[in-house]
Amino acid sequence: MPTPALNGTESRAAFEREALPHLDSVYRFARSLTRDDTAAEDLAQDTFLQAWRAWHQYTPGTNCLAWLFTICRNLRARQAPRTQREEATDSADLESLAAAALHASLVETDPHGQFLEMPDLRDRLSQELLRLPEEYREVVVLADVQDQSYATIAEILGVPVGTVKSRLFRGRRMLQEGLIEFARDAGIVADARSGGSV
Amino acid sequence: MIDCHGVMKRLWEYLDGELPVSDVEGIREHLAVCARCYPQYRFQLAFLAAVAHAGTGPGPRPAFAERVRAALGSTES
Repeated sequence: MPTPALNGTESRAAFEREALPHLDSVYRFARSLTRDDTAAEDLAQDTFLQAWRAWHQYTPGTNCLAWLFTICRNLRARQAPRTQREEATDSADLESLAAAALHASLVETDPHGQFLEMPDLRDRLSQELLRLPEEYREVVVLADVQDQSYATIAEILGVPVGTVKSRLFRGRRMLQEGLIEFARDAGIVADARSGGSV
Repeated sequence: MIDCHGVMKRLWEYLDGELPVSDVEGIREHLAVCARCYPQYRFQLAFLAAVAHAGTGPGPRPAFAERVRAALGSTES
């Protein structure tokens, strides 16, 4: 059933109610894409201006945050066109198993995963996240920071769910590889590369 | 009955709450009794919590909301 047209005041009130509460989340998503505070503010503001111009296309009561992420991500893609990268072609299943093997190499020296609790390591994780190639970073941020479902992320990015999974799992595995390397270099866990069963 | 290999393949989907209910129960039962998979599950759980924490990052400046409202004020839908 079509939604009755709202007058300007009602429209603005609906926008204030549904869209503007997401300012912080959109800013944080924009910052994860741009990796810069000023560029993030510009991108987030442009997102809300674009959302307001297109507000008549939004269906009230649907996932407004995902709709805003879509606009933000499209604006970003227009600002910073990506060169065609080599896509992760491994299946999500293989990525999961690779992460399990990675963990197996660690578990002998840190069976309880204590190293994830270390403050230095948390800082390192923030850095590693920003270092991920953008196509992995955006999926990891949408899933693990913004708590969006695979299906929603697929809609935001305009890709199949299988692609979301393979990028997400590859991104997570890259983060774990970086963390484990850091932990070994810092002597937090023993170097199991030479002998451990993987 | 799902085995270790099957659990490892689907662990992230399990943790993400993306599996059908019919698959969830088998994995939950396996994790409860498997000395090999349970530590992996705990590790990945802690890892995802750490990513969520690390990725949140600083929020916008306090003046940002006002800036956006001002910009919106000069436009019409």
